[in-house]
Amino acid sequence: MTDNFQDQMFDFLFRKGIENFVGVPDSTLKQFISHGLKSKKIIITTREEEAIGISAGMILAKSPTLVFMQNAGFANSLSTITSLIQLYKFPLIFLIGWRGFKKNDAPEHKKIGQIQPKLLKDIGLQTRIINKNNWKKFSSWAINKMKNGDSCALVIPREFVD
Amino acid sequence: MSEIGDSPIVAANGFISRDLFNVKDKKTNFYMIGSMGLASSIGLGIALKKPRKKIFIFDGDGNILMNLGSLATIGKISPNNLIHLVFDNSIHESTGGQPTGSDVISIEKIARACNYKHVFKVSTKNGIVKILDKIKKHSGLTLILIKIEKGNSIGNRISKTPKNIKDGFIKNL
Repeated sequence: MTDNFQDQMFDFLFRKGIENFVGVPDSTLKQFISHGLKSKKIIITTREEEAIGISAGMILAKSPTLVFMQNAGFANSLSTITSLIQLYKFPLIFLIGWRGFKKNDAPEHKKIGQIQPKLLKDIGLQTRIINKNNWKKFSSWAINKMKNGDSCALVIPREFVD
Repeated sequence: MSEIGDSPIVAANGFISRDLFNVKDKKTNFYMIGSMGLASSIGLGIALKKPRKKIFIFDGDGNILMNLGSLATIGKISPNNLIHLVFDNSIHESTGGQPTGSDVISIEKIARACNYKHVFKVSTKNGIVKILDKIKKHSGLTLILIKIEKGNSIGNRISKTPKNIKDGFIKNL
């Protein structure tokens, strides 16, 4: 499976100081989330904006935090990202699944999957695309961004269709 | 306001933040000027990380109805140190007084169903003071629904920048 690195990535981010992982489940990220649930570091919310709000609160209490979501959820969150995270300059790491990446993915993911890279670019959220070979390098990149007070996004493409 | 003292407050966008800024500005007020609906979520995040401090949320009926899921998440976790005040005038006053529907539905029943431990409903200043005094002594997730009338004046806009609001809050929490 292509997503075997997700357990290691969770442990790595935790060791590097991320104390909270808040978000809405995503099948692309299920291994990352299941692994985090075992160690009780995960909070599951009803919607993505809510996860971003809780994360902002945790950062206000000086506790480094990551939010995770599907790309449909990223689309839900645009206003919150621009009017809360970017406006107040919260150093938050986004972990976003990327469906609609493969041409034969389910129809509801196609449109948002196509425009996601452009949306991220247009709102000015710096992004790295993660895979099993580069996850460590880009996780470190994200940690450094956070330490410098910036938000950023790590995107995991869904390489398989089930 | 003296009952709340120096405790941190997260204030919802619109007139709620503006009124708080004009009545009692302090470094541990977080004025949420955008992202409507999320004051309760931000308050939850702080409360979970500062379990020894009482955290107040100044919410509105329009705000909480926009993010009802947050009541479910807050209730699911049920932090002992979160006091959720909802100023309910049944309208979106900041945008011109459009109805929210909170005169028909029951926010206090929703809160109870969502596992809030203490739920109060008041409509007088005296009533608010009494409840704030009372809850000083006990812990547990609390919602106070405060029925208010439409205001007749608009407070000044918040003069601090968002980054200053955030940085000041972090430093003084």
